Amino acid sequence: MTVAQWQGRKEGGGRFALWLIRSIGLTCGRGVARLILYPITLYFFFRRGHERRASRAFLTRALGRPAGVPDVLRHIHAFASITLDRVFLLARGMRGFDIDIVGMEALERRLDGGRGVLLLGAHVGSFEVLRVLALKRPQVPLRVVLDKAQTPVMTELLEALAPDIGNNVIDASRGSTDVVLAMHEAAQRGAMVALLGDRGRAHEAMRRVPFFGEPAPFPAAPWLIASTLQLPVVLCFGLYLGGNRYRLMFEPYAEDTTIPRAGRDAALDALIRGYAARLEAMVREHPYNWFNFYDFWHDPAPDGGADPGRADQPDLRGGHLA
Amino acid sequence: MTEQTAAERELAELIVASLNLDSVAPAEIGPDAPLFGGTLGLDSIDALEIALAVSKRYGFQLRSDNPDNRRIFGSLRALAEHIQQHRPQ
Repeated sequence: MTVAQWQGRKEGGGRFALWLIRSIGLTCGRGVARLILYPITLYFFFRRGHERRASRAFLTRALGRPAGVPDVLRHIHAFASITLDRVFLLARGMRGFDIDIVGMEALERRLDGGRGVLLLGAHVGSFEVLRVLALKRPQVPLRVVLDKAQTPVMTELLEALAPDIGNNVIDASRGSTDVVLAMHEAAQRGAMVALLGDRGRAHEAMRRVPFFGEPAPFPAAPWLIASTLQLPVVLCFGLYLGGNRYRLMFEPYAEDTTIPRAGRDAALDALIRGYAARLEAMVREHPYNWFNFYDFWHDPAPDGGADPGRADQPDLRGGHLA
Repeated sequence: MTEQTAAERELAELIVASLNLDSVAPAEIGPDAPLFGGTLGLDSIDALEIALAVSKRYGFQLRSDNPDNRRIFGSLRALAEHIQQHRPQ
């Protein structure tokens, strides 16, 4: 399945099911709600063939052995667990969770610079942990770039639980000029600007760099934005460790992200290659946290990057960025 | 091609310089031609660079929440007009 297909794919579960799980969770507690994750896992396993096959192929790479049915079930169960926990994190904050935070001092040192920080996440573990942490530290604003149009049902449900968090979103489905300007405004206020650096949109400029032994496409935009706004890049992972345990990790990655216009591709590739290597190491250690349930490698590579085919509108969704 | 006004020429020069558009002469940018897509084919990162250059040169900032952004960034003419209306005099 390609990114375009994945992005066009219906949100799993539907409005009623998500509402039901949320309501059961908030009324009966996390323990009861977690019991329901077992039938949900089985349901997804049998009904979502694309995701099942993508999971198995990925785990085979990451585990270094042929992945079996139990591995795939564990993978889907981890994804379901994190999705459920988003409800509790947003409704009740960190209460009831054991969240280990690593690298906070390093992040704060960069924030003290006052010029903003680009927090680069990935579809690994839970980004919600970060958003909840930010609520507890209102002195450091967080803006998260997310595509609200991608999971409208989920977005609506979760934002109803925590409107403050919803207000901190820069909606990537807006025109991309608005998005980059909003990121600039956030950086001017010394904010953390968070976005996900592993998944490009259909037709977005991508660079292929080695990832688990084979070139995989990564979006160029986060790096070009960091360079233009002169933002230090800090990697961020909200790893799910099982049970009620999470680890939120901040890892300074690049202080100076300048990408000169001459030799742009080489500079971009160097940054992205290093990022992919770090991401690979993290995912190898926590393979069940990988939540790109599509063929991450063989997605047809957009032709952006080498020779800009250029878009009709300045749009992160459909535009070539290089 | 429509002639550029003085303000449009000045902005065209700023755009060419800040984006290092080696193959484009400022005078060649049609006032009504699309800045994004079309022959110039700029993208959103370029839009950000232009916004930064405009704020440095003209002392006012293009805002993300302006509902007219699509139009303002649509052509040299629209952007130049917007700047003339909003720059501190």
